[in-house]
Amino acid sequence: MTTTLATPDRSPRAGARRRRSGVVAAGLAAVLALAACSGPSGADDLRLTEAPQDEAAEEAPAAPAAPAECADPLASYAPEGALPGPDALPGGSTMAAIRDRGSLIVGVSADTLLMGARNSLSGQIEGFDIDVLHEISRAIFGDPDRLTFRVITSGQRLEVLEQGEVDLVARAFTINCERWESIAFSAEYYHAGQKVLVTRDSTASGIADLEGQRVCAPEGTTTLTRLEQFSGIEPVPATTHTQCLVLFQQGKVDAITGDDTILAGFAAQDPYAKVVGEAISDEPYGIGVPAQNVDMVRFVNGVLEQMKSDGRWAAIYGEWLGGLGPAPAPPTAVYGRTP
Amino acid sequence: MTTTPVRPAGQQIVPAGGPAPGGPAAAPHGAPAGAPNATVSRARGALRRTPGKLRLVMALCVLAAVALGVLGFQAGSVQSRALGAASEDTAQLVGVQEVRNALVAADATATGAFLVGGLEPADQRARYDDLVDQAASGLATLSGSNEGDAELLGQVAADLTVYTGLVEQARANNRQGFPVGSAYLDQASTILREQMLPALDEVVLDDADRVAADFAGVRNALWVLAGGLVALAVLVVSQVWLARRTHRVLNVGLAVATAVVLVVGIVSTVLLAQASSRAQEVRTGPYAATLAASQAYSLANDAKSMEAFTLIKRGSGQAYEEAFVTATDDAAARLDTAASEGILDGSTAQALDAWVTRHADIRALDDAGEWDDAVALATATDPESPNAAFDAFSASVRGDIETNAAATSERLDGAATTATVAGWLLLVAGLVAALLAWRGVTARLEEYR
Repeated sequence: MTTTLATPDRSPRAGARRRRSGVVAAGLAAVLALAACSGPSGADDLRLTEAPQDEAAEEAPAAPAAPAECADPLASYAPEGALPGPDALPGGSTMAAIRDRGSLIVGVSADTLLMGARNSLSGQIEGFDIDVLHEISRAIFGDPDRLTFRVITSGQRLEVLEQGEVDLVARAFTINCERWESIAFSAEYYHAGQKVLVTRDSTASGIADLEGQRVCAPEGTTTLTRLEQFSGIEPVPATTHTQCLVLFQQGKVDAITGDDTILAGFAAQDPYAKVVGEAISDEPYGIGVPAQNVDMVRFVNGVLEQMKSDGRWAAIYGEWLGGLGPAPAPPTAVYGRTP
Repeated sequence: MTTTPVRPAGQQIVPAGGPAPGGPAAAPHGAPAGAPNATVSRARGALRRTPGKLRLVMALCVLAAVALGVLGFQAGSVQSRALGAASEDTAQLVGVQEVRNALVAADATATGAFLVGGLEPADQRARYDDLVDQAASGLATLSGSNEGDAELLGQVAADLTVYTGLVEQARANNRQGFPVGSAYLDQASTILREQMLPALDEVVLDDADRVAADFAGVRNALWVLAGGLVALAVLVVSQVWLARRTHRVLNVGLAVATAVVLVVGIVSTVLLAQASSRAQEVRTGPYAATLAASQAYSLANDAKSMEAFTLIKRGSGQAYEEAFVTATDDAAARLDTAASEGILDGSTAQALDAWVTRHADIRALDDAGEWDDAVALATATDPESPNAAFDAFSASVRGDIETNAAATSERLDGAATTATVAGWLLLVAGLVAALLAWRGVTARLEEYR
């Protein structure tokens, strides 16, 4: 009796159950459908389509390799005859092309006090290197101010010459054999030497006393290469020499090494720093010229000869580097190189 | 009420508790209870089975209706909360972008001041101070308003103190004519660009993800539809069963309950769907416009500081000029897309073009070797200057951001109210339907007394 009753009972209920499970299934399907199209993400709303920006792919300037050998790096191309005046530049020469263009494009530093730095009061770039360039401008145009400055880092010096982006580079540029392989240099116009800058209370009397200390030098320079030869010193590279001074003032490095000219400029900005020791290297500065512009090298050498002999060189030295002592005899030019 | 005298009997509840298997199991259990009188027992047995099932049906109907009400209320409030959250998170996102813009503009101002020499103009100094203040107070407010962003924003705030310290050092050195000042400024900019801005961009992305999740939540609230269908099915099936069992076509209580559930269910579904589609409209309308405008502004600010760098680097600024072009192209593309979608008018895009054209004049001077003239043009503030063009763009795009951010939050808040109303409607409907179902079945139950 109970079973017979139960049986007809069950069918509608089972039907209801079937229907109910159908509804549940439909509900689930709807849920799944909604979940499947959960919509755009935050990045889609922001329309960030491209991949995350790649790390600043700045190639570090290659450190100079082992010193290349050559007979005499200081030997440059001899000037040909007397220096031509602005009106008598040989036709078809590099200088004539520059004169016709209207300005001499030069690669310089804007943050190396005394050599090439922007005077923040006047906004002008000035210094020893800059004044030498003004003299070259005077020789080409009869006007010392026809310069177009291109501010470069020391690591960019070779590159801008190789690419022909500038006519000259005057930026504490040491003449050496390896650089002669890709560019040309004028005769030496300043003789610097690598020294070290330390805090005023430091007892170090030279780079040899800095064992175990952090010493900063700019990337892509002979300075950094030479620093690596001293064992026990921890070299710290920076993008520019002035960044070294920032690190020094922040206590992140203990000393800075560099050419005495550059360090003199640093000491002038920071009364708690001093330059110590004898020069550990000879840094003959030359003006960099693109390798193929031999006529330009000869011309620049002619200008330098004039400056050294008529006292302009000494006057410029006195103006910028007088703090290092009275002007020494200007470096003697060495010639004999043939293209 | 009428059931109360029946319930104490106890035995009747047991079969009610076990629906299908309860039937056969109840028989042996119920038999000894009704043993004294065979006739009564048979009558009782018959009565007991149907009222038991009636009670089961009643319980199911009441349960389904209450569940519909509670779930519907929940859905309404979930949707309303999601809409409110979307509105808040949008405001947070816009706030973070504002801080980012203030920082980039502050950096551009500090950098620009170096262009004009050691003595920086008082108004530039005031502008820098003002922008840094804006950024600092913005960071404090934003870390307070969203816990998720607090850690990254805290880092940015910490970096900001380092940044301002370096800028001050740059200033002090610059004022004495020391070139090391520009190295300090470089370091400050590096911290801004390599640490602070990436962190802020990450926060912006996090906020956008949260807004996206909020929008998804708005749609997910529609799942309550499934619940409503279940309740409706239970009510309909119960009526069919009742009609068969009691040979009466209509149970008024259940029928009205079904009608209430159906009508209110449809109305609320429409309301919830409307809120959801309004959210969708906001997302592709004012929200998209807000994002487009605010990103374009961000990019333009980046570009503006690149302009100062191209001049400071004096000839070595090619990489900065490329960055300028990339940033302004991207900004223009975003504004143009928004304009073509009709969510922004083209005036901001035109203002951007006007500024980029004026910027080209600065580049032309610099490229021709007229650096001093280029600097003079870049720092000029007369109505024809590039700076004035940038300010005009700035005002236009800020207007776009404000208008659209306000529209976004207003419309999302409106939709949230709709969703709340739908939730309450469903709750009331569920409870009313439960009461009606209970009364309807109880009326049938009375007939078995």
